[in-house]
Order: sequence, then structure tokens, then C-alpha cells
Amino acid sequence: MAQILYIEDEIGIGEWVEQSLTEKSHSVMWLTSGDNACQYVGLSDMIILDVMLPGLDGFSLGKRIKKNHPDMPILILSARTSLEDKLEGLEFSDDYITKPFHSEELAARVNVLLRRFNKRHERLQLQHLIIDTNDMSVTSQNTGEEILLTGKQYQIFQFFIRHLNQILTKEQLYEGVWGEPYIENDKTLMVHIRYLREKLEEDPTHPAIIETIRGIGYRVRK
Amino acid sequence: MRAILKFFNSLQAKYLLIIFIALFFIQFSVIISSLILFNMDVGDLEEEYRGVEDRWHQDAENMKNISKETVMDQFRTWKQAYPQASMFWVDDNGSLAAELNTNRQIPAEWTSAYTAQFLKKRYNGNPFTVVAFLGQKEKHGFIVLELPRDNLDGKTSDRNWIYMGTFLLLFFAFMIVSLLFFRHVRKRLLSLQKAMDLRDDDNLPVLIDVKKDDEIGELETAFNKMVSEQRESRKREQQEEQLRRELIANISHDLRTPLTKIRAQTNAISQEHLSDKGRKAAQQQDESIDNIDRLIENLMSYTLLTASKLNYQPEQTDILRYMRSCMASWYPLFEQENFRIDIHLASFKHNEWLIDPFWMDRVLDNLLQNIIRHAKDGRYIGVTTEETCYYDAIVITDHGPGFDNSQYKKGAGIGISIVDLMLQQMGLDWDIASDDNGTVIRIKRLKKQPPQKDKDV
Repeated sequence: MAQILYIEDEIGIGEWVEQSLTEKSHSVMWLTSGDNACQYVGLSDMIILDVMLPGLDGFSLGKRIKKNHPDMPILILSARTSLEDKLEGLEFSDDYITKPFHSEELAARVNVLLRRFNKRHERLQLQHLIIDTNDMSVTSQNTGEEILLTGKQYQIFQFFIRHLNQILTKEQLYEGVWGEPYIENDKTLMVHIRYLREKLEEDPTHPAIIETIRGIGYRVRK
Repeated sequence: MRAILKFFNSLQAKYLLIIFIALFFIQFSVIISSLILFNMDVGDLEEEYRGVEDRWHQDAENMKNISKETVMDQFRTWKQAYPQASMFWVDDNGSLAAELNTNRQIPAEWTSAYTAQFLKKRYNGNPFTVVAFLGQKEKHGFIVLELPRDNLDGKTSDRNWIYMGTFLLLFFAFMIVSLLFFRHVRKRLLSLQKAMDLRDDDNLPVLIDVKKDDEIGELETAFNKMVSEQRESRKREQQEEQLRRELIANISHDLRTPLTKIRAQTNAISQEHLSDKGRKAAQQQDESIDNIDRLIENLMSYTLLTASKLNYQPEQTDILRYMRSCMASWYPLFEQENFRIDIHLASFKHNEWLIDPFWMDRVLDNLLQNIIRHAKDGRYIGVTTEETCYYDAIVITDHGPGFDNSQYKKGAGIGISIVDLMLQQMGLDWDIASDDNGTVIRIKRLKKQPPQKDKDV
């Protein structure tokens, strides 16, 4: 459960979002203007922000919040869809969703942000594995023992967990973990994935946790 | 008055002055030389001649105890001062009494006629000749001093050198003035050229500091005026652009906010106990919201695109890497619709394409959305590469009912137009081959023109 500060002036949309997120076990504090928002920021785990607000607009408010609370995840929920608006918003925010949106997508993106900022103590279960997202410890439910990963394996698996359900290209994965440009046909990543599977999968020849997406890359799906 | 002052300040006036000096240069030289000679040379020379004459007369008059010896002593004294001088004495009898340094025949006897002829001949002639009576009275005859004029002229100056020197001096002065004038003009023109090349932050030339009120100054002023007008025009254009964007953003907001509200209401309705028909209607309403959203987006983009106002930033992009990343984001959607997904992206010889990734996103959004909406029945999406000698292509294949048999044309008209405009702008070609078994779309980077263009759109 996370405490979410939501600022939206449209009553119909505000009620819907509040209800949707509450149904997903979050506690939502909904304000119809950004004027007094700053006093609630310290009490929140993340902020959802509309752009066109009465008084202080969402961009100015978001920039102010991010300046004072750099670790606060901010998600912009706006009907402004131009590239310029998105770029301006993403200068300080961590995600940008355009209206009209699906409530499921919003909830999923909120969870991703909370996970990314470690705002949520979560125990994930992937097949026979139990993962503590706080310290990224991995335990096998079959043996009850913690599976020890090498440094690089740990980084790769952490990257997968941060991008749960997301298909990652080989380039994204390699550059995200190694921090260097991926060289076409480089086998390093493949070898590490093979070793990781040997440790994590029940049957490494038929992987169920780290999925291969042919022609693109890999995915870890909940 | 102001116009006259302006004329004298102008380069034209200075140039005309130089032409005028060039035309009358020799005349100036002669006039100046003559003035110098008149003021200095001639005066000095006359003074020198007069001095010799006076002293000769004085020495002759002051001579006492007149005899051949005393006269010869006098001659020797003069000889020391003027070594080239020749002197002789004719006594009161008309006989040559003494002589010194006379290298020609001096008549031994002087008649009155000869004496008159001699005086007439030597008047203003060469050598310079002075005749003086000897002693206080005229009874001792006269003494003559002959001095070559070169001897005296050389002491003061040479007239030819004066002319030559003046000419050369004036010539060099003229050359220097001309050179300085043209260097000055050239320097200012070069500065102007350099200033024209210098760019400010807004990529317009910087303003020039106008220092003089001549033709180049006027050119600089005109240039500054042009830059200012251009800057003003760009500012106006930016303001218009900003207004246009604001308008579009506001329209977008005004349309999408109620759409979101409709979605919220649809969501609320679908959570009620509904009949199958009711659930289906709610689901269709939800899909309609997505369609309207897409139409709004396309309409906005199309408006900007046709007015050439959509921000276009091409960059060298690894097309395979880009396509993999794009398909990674689309994969779950196709997966959700139970599509068989076949992605095979083989490397081209040159994988770098000059594209704007945001535009390419929009192109693929339109094409892939169309497949989900209109080719869902085929349950197949293939994304592959094709390399021929004419083009490198990204090939998107579906097994839907085909372009003509589906709602493609009806619903996707504006989307297809956007795809066409954007690909054209990015220098890419594309074609659609479609039949009852599906549609194949090729996005092509042409290497050379194929013999026959086969665009089926």
C-alpha cells in the first residue's frame, strides 16, 4: 500500500482515479488545486499530477516538488499530448500518461514507479521463487534456501525485476546493466542469461521465469 | 549644408580626390618644385653671386701700393677660396698686366671695342664674370674674376634633384595615401563580411557597430536594419507558433478531458450488473474512446504536418535497434490479442537510417494500430527486413482480410496520410501490397531508383 497525492481539478476524473487506485490498495489524497499541495508532499510516497490546473499549473508545481524532494516519484496525467509538452513534463517527472487513459494502465505504471523508487516493500513470487524487492534476495520455495547470485547476475535480475512484464531488447538490457554500448552479435549477455537461468529456473532448458522473445530480447513476467 | 558635409565624408569624395591627384600629379610636382626653388634655391644662389661680386669690388677698391706682386697676392688669396677661378689684370694702358689660372688666350692688349665686346659677352654668361676697377681711382685699370657657374651652383643645390626629389616625394606620398585609403576600405569591407558570418544565439547575424557615416557605414546600417527586421519577423513567427501550439494544446485538452470523463463513466457502468448486450456496449464505447483519441491526435498532427510546423529532428538511427525497441513495446498488445508474432530483423549492409525517431514512432503507431483494429482476424504480425539492390526495407506483414476488404480506408484515411507525409519528409519510400490473404507494408530506404515504381497505395 502506498500513500499517493493526486492533484486533479476535474471532479469526474478525480473520483474515478481515486476509486481505481483505492481498489488497488493504495491510499489516495486528492486535491483539486495545487495551491496547498506542498504541505502534503512529505506525507506521500508518490505524486500524480494534472497539468492544466487552476492557479499554479502542473509543470510549475511538479518542478517545485522535484527540486525539494528529488526522490519523490512524479507521474503526470495530462490531456496535453504534444511532444513538446511531454518533453517538458519528463524533464522533472518520472512518467507521463495522456488522457484518456485506462485505469489499469495507470495502476500498473504507479506500481512500476513505486517499485523503481523502492517506495514499496514487496515480496514478489515468480514461479517457485520468492523475491524481496527491498534487498533483492531470491529464495527458492522448493528448498527454502536463498539462491546466491554473482554480481553481474544480481544486476541483470534486478534490472528484470525493475522492468517486470516489460520486454527488454538485448541492447536495453546490456546497456542498462553494463553501462556500455551493445555490440551486435555479442554473446556476453546470452552467456550470463544462461548461467542465471541455471540458478533460477527449475528446468533451464524450458525457462519459465526469464522468457526469450524471439527477434527482440527477454522478459520476466509476473 | 548637411548634404555637402555628407558628400565630403563619403568615400566617393575621397576617391575623386585621389583620381584628381593622379590626373594632375606631374603638374603638382612641377609647381611645388618651382615654389621650393623660388623660395629657397634661387634666393640663395643670387645671394651667393652677389656676395662674390661685392667682395671682388671691395677687394679691388681697397687695394693699396698697386703693383704686379700685390695684385698677384690678391689673386692667390681668391684662388684659395675658389680654386677654379681665373683672374687677370688689365692696366690703364689696356695691356694685360697679370693673370692667374687663365687657361685660354687672354689678349695682351685691350682696346675699348674689345673691352665693350667682352663685357657684353660675359653679361649673365658662363663663366660668372666680375669686372672691378683697381684702387680708389680708375687709373690702375681693372681686374677680372672668372668663375665657372657650376662651381657656385653646386654649392647651393642641383635644380634637377629638386624636381626629381619633389616628384618622388609626392609620388610616394600619393602611393601611401592611396594604399591607406584602399586598405582602410578593404579592412572595413572584410570586417563587414566577418560580422555577417558571425551568428548570435538565435542563429541570426550579430549587429555591426557603425562608426562612420560614409557608404560602408550606410551599408552597415542597412545590414543592421535587415538583421533587426529578420529578428523581429522571427520573433513574430515564434509568437504565432507559440499561439498555434497553445491553441492545439488547449483544443486537445478540451477534447480529451471529456473523453476521459466518458471513460470514467463507462468504467463505472461496466462495474454494474449488466446484460451481455450492456457489457458489449460498454466495451465498444471504451474502444470508441480510443478511436476518437487517436483521431484527435492524427488530426492535430496532420494540421501541423501540412503547415510544416511539426517539429522534425532527424538523426542517424540504427534502424534494427530502433525496430526491436519499438516492437518490444508493441509485443504485449499483439500477445494480448493472441497474434502469432514473427520478428526477424536481419542486419542490412548499412543499418544507420536518417530518421526522426518520434516521427517513426507515429508512423509505426498508425500502421500497427491498423493491424490490431482491422487485421485482427488473421492473428498474425510479421516484422522482417528485406534487402535488394534497390532498397533496404522493413516489412510489416499481416494475414488480415486485406486493405480493400477491411475498414482500413474508411477509418485510417488520415492515419495513412500522416504515414505518407512523414515517410516522404524523412526521405523514405513505402508501398502496400494487399490481397484477400493479407497485407504487406514495406518501409523502404532507396539505394537507387528501381526501373519501375510499384507503389500500390
